Amino acid sequence: MSTQTRTRSATRTPRKGRSAEVTRLMPTWLIAVLTTLLCVLVLVPVAYIFLASLNSDVGVARGEFWPSQFSLESYTKIWRSVGLGKGIINSLVVSGAVAVVSALIAIGTAYVLVRFSFLGRLTMLRGLLGLQSIPGTLMLLPVFVLFASIGAWVGITIIGTLWGLFIAYLTFALPFSTWVMVTYLRGLPRELEEAARIDGASNMGILFRIIVPLSWPGIVVSGIFAFLLGWNDVLFASIFTKPNTATAAIVLQVFSASQEGGAIPVYSQMMAAALVCAAPVVILYFIFQRYLVGGLTAGGVK
Amino acid sequence: MTSEIAGNTLRDEATRPAGGPPAPQNKKRKGVTERDRPLWLLAPGGLLIAVIILIPLVLALYMSLIDLDQYTLRKWLTTPFIGVENFVEALTKTDLLRSIWISVSFAVVSTIVTVPLGVAAVVVTQNPYRGRAIVRAVFLIPYVLPSFVVATVWRTMLQPDGIVNSVLHNVGIDPGLWLNGPMSYWTLILVEIWAAWPFIYLLALAGLQSVDHEVHEAAAIDGALWWRKLREVIFPYLKGPVSLAFLLGTLNHINNFTLPFVLFGAPAPADVNVLPILVYVTSFQSFRFGLSAAMAVVSLILIAIPLFIYLRAVKLDVSDDGGKK
Repeated sequence: MSTQTRTRSATRTPRKGRSAEVTRLMPTWLIAVLTTLLCVLVLVPVAYIFLASLNSDVGVARGEFWPSQFSLESYTKIWRSVGLGKGIINSLVVSGAVAVVSALIAIGTAYVLVRFSFLGRLTMLRGLLGLQSIPGTLMLLPVFVLFASIGAWVGITIIGTLWGLFIAYLTFALPFSTWVMVTYLRGLPRELEEAARIDGASNMGILFRIIVPLSWPGIVVSGIFAFLLGWNDVLFASIFTKPNTATAAIVLQVFSASQEGGAIPVYSQMMAAALVCAAPVVILYFIFQRYLVGGLTAGGVK
Repeated sequence: MTSEIAGNTLRDEATRPAGGPPAPQNKKRKGVTERDRPLWLLAPGGLLIAVIILIPLVLALYMSLIDLDQYTLRKWLTTPFIGVENFVEALTKTDLLRSIWISVSFAVVSTIVTVPLGVAAVVVTQNPYRGRAIVRAVFLIPYVLPSFVVATVWRTMLQPDGIVNSVLHNVGIDPGLWLNGPMSYWTLILVEIWAAWPFIYLLALAGLQSVDHEVHEAAAIDGALWWRKLREVIFPYLKGPVSLAFLLGTLNHINNFTLPFVLFGAPAPADVNVLPILVYVTSFQSFRFGLSAAMAVVSLILIAIPLFIYLRAVKLDVSDDGGKK
């Protein structure tokens, strides 16, 4: 079996109709033991995080695993004590904008890369892959200097505003978003486009009337990955933001770093804040699970 | 950030014959579309990537060769050129070599532990049973959670007065400090393993799904014992995806900034002073920008080596297949 076909069948739907006896790889008892171990590995910390967030700060500090008293107090306190609200709004604004704009740019770029031939096309496709592996720590300093210099020349502030963050995330999201769209558009049949072209549709007409309506799953995946890139980033946000433009990740990081040496540790609030920061991501995964898991197995990120 | 590397997408590209046309269908139909190609659609993305990625890349190389610090940053265009002095200083007078060692060993150890976990997870969820969907969703939890959230909650749990120590204390073990001192290195590995093993699981999943049903039947007819079947029939199928996962996983560990930064803060304790943290601290806390750029360039070279080796290996693989197509 060639690598090519193996890759294909891996990215397509799994085979149906396996009978359990034939495909079984292990005795049932061993499957049970291993499954339990892996679930315990994941679920014990997760359960503790939930329980601690429902506990009181004092209870957590006492070392309780099971709260002596359940309360949602921590979830109400964090908005004042951490200033999480502002951070979440900043994160939502930046990451949301990045998701929409990068999906828009990605589909246009991918359309040209997949359907038209021109000089430098292959180089661009390779570049899309190569650019994904550049470490962020290498880019941080030169992008910072570039933003500072452009800002000084033009007379505007970029560092410290959400715009700088938006431009940086947008650019770093583009290679992957575009690649997702390229792989998606390759799978679309050409016949509809050809029929539309015979009917006199222009390139843009084809893009917006045929390609975009057919590519929603691809658009969703590329948009969500762009969103996650912005939401999960700490590196660029730690340098490019001021306290009033800090993203949720930075607010949480500063909050947790400020705990050490403090008088009363507020671990319960910390867990609640962490869960609130994770919530949008988890919700996105749940809603778009079908598209995303397909996208993950076809091009796992992280 | 950009350290997040696409898994199979890389393979899709790499498995194509080197230098050949990408895929037959892409080269066709020139006649229809040759005249009005909407090439301007490439402009927004191309412009952004050129200005925000390509120019800064060149800038990084240039900065590694000049004497740039907080006093000269404002006039970096006229800063004196000092050649390889930054590189010499980075290699001889800083923690760079030690950081490289910490980063590489941490990354390799983490990957070596995550691979069996990920493969085990794939094997045990192979057969359908009631509740398998839930188990699979549970396996994905560490993958879905943002790194900064994972790091924050572990940091809280591993505090000297945190839950981990109080549980261990109750069973009579006194582990000491997790987040400082020599133990911090193993803390970093433990948390990274917890967060990263589902990535191996996802990539191995695609590999296992490519095993044909006939293969299972053949193994069953031969009456192969489960562990022999696993080792001699199934694992060869997983070799490709798992080697890819091994490589990408290692690269992701080396590039991981968020986890050590949020777990330990910056500057990090000496035992977890990984490369990304060292580069970051040298830039934005010591303000030795030129020196930091030199370090970043060294780390880029470090990352390029395994990537290059891998791409070469894949191309060889393809040329073997080439004849059969």
